[in-house]
Amino acid sequence: MEQLQIQGLCCKAEDKEILRGVSLTVNKGDVVALLGPNGHGKSTLLNCLMGSPHYQVTAGQALYDGEDLLALPTDARSRKGLFLAFQNPPDVPGVVTMDFYRGMLNARREKPISLLDFYRKTTEAYQQVGLDSEMASRHLNEGYSGGEKKRNEVLQMLLLKPELAMLDEIDSGLDVDALSLVASAIDAARRQGTTFLIISHYDRLLELVRPNRTAVMVQGRIALEGDETLARRIAKEGYSFLERELGIDLRREEVPSSIGVCGAKITAK
Amino acid sequence: MTGIDVLDGTLLAKEEGGLSTFFFEAQALPEEFHLALREGESREIVLVDFSPRSYRTRLSFTLSRRSHLVLSFAALAHPGTEKRIAVDVHHEGVDSFSRVSFVGIDFSDRPFSFVGNSFIPKGMSGSDTRQEGRITNLMPSCRSEVSPALFIEENDVKASHGAALGAYDPDQIYYLMAHGLSERESKALITSGLLLPIVERLSDPKAVERAKKILEELHL
Repeated sequence: MEQLQIQGLCCKAEDKEILRGVSLTVNKGDVVALLGPNGHGKSTLLNCLMGSPHYQVTAGQALYDGEDLLALPTDARSRKGLFLAFQNPPDVPGVVTMDFYRGMLNARREKPISLLDFYRKTTEAYQQVGLDSEMASRHLNEGYSGGEKKRNEVLQMLLLKPELAMLDEIDSGLDVDALSLVASAIDAARRQGTTFLIISHYDRLLELVRPNRTAVMVQGRIALEGDETLARRIAKEGYSFLERELGIDLRREEVPSSIGVCGAKITAK
Repeated sequence: MTGIDVLDGTLLAKEEGGLSTFFFEAQALPEEFHLALREGESREIVLVDFSPRSYRTRLSFTLSRRSHLVLSFAALAHPGTEKRIAVDVHHEGVDSFSRVSFVGIDFSDRPFSFVGNSFIPKGMSGSDTRQEGRITNLMPSCRSEVSPALFIEENDVKASHGAALGAYDPDQIYYLMAHGLSERESKALITSGLLLPIVERLSDPKAVERAKKILEELHL
């Protein structure tokens, strides 16, 4: 059953066109590996779907369970079941992690979560990702190591139990043990029915998670789709075969630029 | 001296050092305030001003040899109020230490300013100072200003300053909203996050509760 249907999605940031007609369907229960060379729009796609203020959708649509996702504000998208594990979660000084967790859980409930239930859920989630639950009393993401930030994103996914989880390079900066913990957490969520759209540049996570589908983004479009064998081939051979065998142009389109007055780099008109 | 609308340098000077906290809910801060720290004296002062009053204040501190001052100041500028706050720290003794931290939330379309000055004259070696100020503007029409400044004539010192002024960080708001919090809830959480670490230092629990209630009732 179709959960997410993206049709001809185009978006730009600061007048630069990034997505140029993305079309992709994600079915309930899918685990889709979203692959592609750096800088071809994978993270932009996930952030557009989540409603990042940095991107402006210029054409196309995205339906989530048949509803126009792009018409909803970011918080409503989250409450409908979308989740984005950020590639670079921002520090939020002053905001205590525990207060944030309570806020995000209560945003989905009519009555505030009880103290006991909150304690039980968070303690369990911290254990699952191998972090000390004392971290809940620290300021959100402030002073966290790269690996702690990534695990913390997965922990949030476990707490929220989203219908569709989009993971943006969740495995970067993780050591082997942490990667196994994260893969187990993803597997547990998958067994409970969560659909996944996963960006990764490392085959280790995909080996552990075993996506059933692969989509390759090149120059702001889905250039190729396949099953898990496509992800495995890319892990083994890289992307060059796309160009060699399928004629897919892998070059990033560079926006011409010039060094203007005072040495400031400005985009040529 | 806790939880009251009085800030009197003469009274404060009679106190033994340690922590002194002040919560201004109704009254404006005094126009002038001065406190001289004795040799070796350590003093931490917490000021929370949520009053709907306009005022202009200059708080000045003179530090003797090896004295130690930490000032944390949280302020709200309510709609229609004008607040001009200056904090001067004069390092008049060697090895003296000061930290001034100001956090403001601006709802007003009138001036709201923090000017923090640290002065270390020639000869006051080993002095250590930091002035930092941060004001978050809640409206495009806000007229806030943050200016932490250092006036240093001695080489053997540590001195730093930091200033942040502007609206909410859109990346922080997006992050919180991407987890289901509304824009209003996200802003409230960030605002509380900025002020609460200072508010919770107030030594009178009633003042802490009252200050938190004011924060909850703010229409962000």
